[in-house]
Amino acid sequence: MTAIHDGRRTELLLLLFAALIVGIGGVLVCLGMGRPILQATRGLAVVGAIIAGAMMLDLADPRRDRWLLPIVAVLAGLGFLLLWQLNTSEASRQLVWMITGSGMMVAVYYLIEDVRDLSRLKYTSGVLGLLLVGVTLAFGVEKGGSGRWLDVGGLFTFQPVEVVKILMCIFLAGYIAARWDLLREDTRGVAGFQMPRLRHIAPLVLMVVFALAIFVGQRDLGAAVLFFGLFVAMTYMATGRKAYSLIALVLFAGGSVAAYYAFPHVATRVDMWLNPWLEPTGRSYQILQALFALAEGGLLGAGFATGGGATIPAATTDLIFVVAAQQMGLAGAVAIVLLFALAAHRSFAIAWQSTDSFGALLAAGLAVVFSLQTLVIIGGVTKLIPLTGITLPFMSYGGTSVIVNFIALALLMAVSRDCVPGGSER
Amino acid sequence: MRSTRETRRNIQRVAMIPAIGFALLCVFLAYWQVVAAPDLRASPHNTRARDRINKIEPGEVLDRRGNTLLGVVRENDEWKRTYPEGEFVCHITGYNENSGVQRTLREALLGIGEYESPWAEFVEGPLEGNDVTLTVDLDAQKLATRLLRGQRGAVVALDAQSGAILTMVSAPAYDPARVLASQWDYQMFQQDPNKPEINRALQGVYPPGSVIKVLSAAAVLDLDRVRRDTEFECTGEHTIDGSTITCPRTHGTVTLDRALQVSCNTTFAQLGSFLTADEFVDYFGRLHLQQRAQVPLPSSQGSVADFSDDRADVLLAESLIGQGETLVTPFAIARMTLAIATGGMAVDPHLVDRVSSPSGATVRASRTREKDRAISAETARAVAGMMVNVVEEGTGGVAGIRGIEVAGKTGSAQNPHGRAHSWFTAFAPADNPRVVVSVVVENAGAGSEAAGPIVREMMAYLLGTR
Repeated sequence: MTAIHDGRRTELLLLLFAALIVGIGGVLVCLGMGRPILQATRGLAVVGAIIAGAMMLDLADPRRDRWLLPIVAVLAGLGFLLLWQLNTSEASRQLVWMITGSGMMVAVYYLIEDVRDLSRLKYTSGVLGLLLVGVTLAFGVEKGGSGRWLDVGGLFTFQPVEVVKILMCIFLAGYIAARWDLLREDTRGVAGFQMPRLRHIAPLVLMVVFALAIFVGQRDLGAAVLFFGLFVAMTYMATGRKAYSLIALVLFAGGSVAAYYAFPHVATRVDMWLNPWLEPTGRSYQILQALFALAEGGLLGAGFATGGGATIPAATTDLIFVVAAQQMGLAGAVAIVLLFALAAHRSFAIAWQSTDSFGALLAAGLAVVFSLQTLVIIGGVTKLIPLTGITLPFMSYGGTSVIVNFIALALLMAVSRDCVPGGSER
Repeated sequence: MRSTRETRRNIQRVAMIPAIGFALLCVFLAYWQVVAAPDLRASPHNTRARDRINKIEPGEVLDRRGNTLLGVVRENDEWKRTYPEGEFVCHITGYNENSGVQRTLREALLGIGEYESPWAEFVEGPLEGNDVTLTVDLDAQKLATRLLRGQRGAVVALDAQSGAILTMVSAPAYDPARVLASQWDYQMFQQDPNKPEINRALQGVYPPGSVIKVLSAAAVLDLDRVRRDTEFECTGEHTIDGSTITCPRTHGTVTLDRALQVSCNTTFAQLGSFLTADEFVDYFGRLHLQQRAQVPLPSSQGSVADFSDDRADVLLAESLIGQGETLVTPFAIARMTLAIATGGMAVDPHLVDRVSSPSGATVRASRTREKDRAISAETARAVAGMMVNVVEEGTGGVAGIRGIEVAGKTGSAQNPHGRAHSWFTAFAPADNPRVVVSVVVENAGAGSEAAGPIVREMMAYLLGTR
């Protein structure tokens, strides 16, 4: 029991520390924008929603992870403060999404009595995911730089890819967990490699190829990379066979080269990555502006609350990170990257501490998606890889992104509650 | 679940890959934010620096009494320059960001570079540049502009005690607002044969004519080769190596003192036997006739003849009377006169009095300039006395002011473009100099005709009102 209370106290202290950081940041934003200091409470509202969420999670069952929520509180709070400087109306909506997201997290945590039950929904998830992708392909509209949106009867729009990533995690975790032994043991030698029988793996491969083809088809490269990475990682974790990963890498390389020649939009991304000075006012405008923002930040930044997103395309969504890096410099940018790394590490830790294979794979899948998504977009803006549009979890503006990430958080919490002895709180 | 340990190991292995990715992100961030940052900031495609500077409200340029010479207004979300005093200070303000002090004092006016206050935006709200107060007197600028109206030339007035530039006017002038009114106006301005854009006070190079005799006299006196009362014979002409230098009149037997009063060419040409060309060049440099002005405006250098060829003696004789290949700026003549007025110290006059932050604090004040001794105090006193005689008994009578002892020297510089340029340089009061005024009027004849009256008017104003 004492361990639980220790965990609670640590989490609360960390959350209060997050509130302090975001509170000071909020005061700076108010000063910088010439607003009443009292409005700094808006930033605190984000952290407050998460603190309230944390308390309500404990009302249901306090044996859960204690590190993810404080990290998310800092990221979400900072993201909101940056957004606030760039676009006040988007910030107001984001605040509503954050509070809603925190509420959704609590609701999902309550609704799932045992996370292992979700494995029964694996085919439902898979079909629903494909359906969403298909509907988006048929009726989706492109908005800004971050992929496709779906308009539901004019009531609201959302980004299906964000939802699909959770559905795919549930499907892959459920399918692989159910066929764990078959995938590992019932193998044949194919060209020197031990491969699982086709009938075991066929639905898996089909599903992923279909999803990938669709995402590539609708030009959402970030999502395609995300799902491919998820599939490869899940297969490796289940089988422990490097051969699969190697084959996957070869396929990825081949697919990339093919995509480069087959799709002009892929070629554009790669060309602008290799030489951003080619069309500084045209196709490489975005990556150059991102790099200029990084350079502007320097070591210690241009100063928090100094705005500066005017010249950066998609500053509030895909490129929110470079705004942070411009204001807070290398010091702040590395701190944020480390927070993401820490969050990824905690998610993986929940996975490897899990005593249930479905729970382990679900947590690991969510961790892979979270890490890859962060790496793809931050890697994109730092020219580590070609820049593709995808949101930065918890920081980018976007209702779907915020809510889905909070749901993913709820699932990780549920895994730590149901599958990790002692709630993985140490 | 089977093989928990193995699964755990697999997950941990997979977790390594993002960890490497995050580490790589940090490396790339460090590269862009530190290593490559200077190049990226300087990129011509990076508009950030420009955008930031465009947001700054540039400071004003004021005269010594706080009159606005160069203003600023907000127009269409941009800061625009105004020129409330138009042509009176056009060569100082310039007509766009690439001319006048707008170019040379850009960083001070914008509050950037060494004038930067990093907390300015946080503490003081919207960024403002510094105001620059100049040493010039707007009323004196107006007077000088009026006196030169219709002519080509320049007026330079200096505070003899501080070395401050009180007046710097070049004619013809232009109204910056009118020049920028249309493309047509701008082209007319650029193609005007009188070249109004040139600041003749600093950039115009003229043969000095007889005003250089101040230098010639100072040099031989300082070298102790000749005294004020040494006598020379003027027969109306003097021939060296087949070249003849003439005087308008035959002066007969004259002392050096008298020779300066009547501006006797033959006497000064004879000084060539008392000093070498190198010594002349040395004094030319010591009195800063060759140097550019140490002010934030474009200026020309003076030059002397190349004495290395076999006509050296002729060139020296010509140089001693200010003809031939010697060229100087009006500003340099004023600076030479200042050296005589200050007892032989060569001082570089200054134009900027102070730079003040938006809150009014002085960011930088004009420092007392370093002084070099150009000639001995005794020589300076002697030359000053001779210049007093020029005004009281000689060619410079026109510059005389009742009740004030004025020291001056006329000049009429022969040139290939028509009538002689009319020169006059003076300081007053002679015993305790307060003001130096130097004037050149192009193709206006003798120094006493065009330049002299302007010097008198300027002197009267500057001494009477200060």
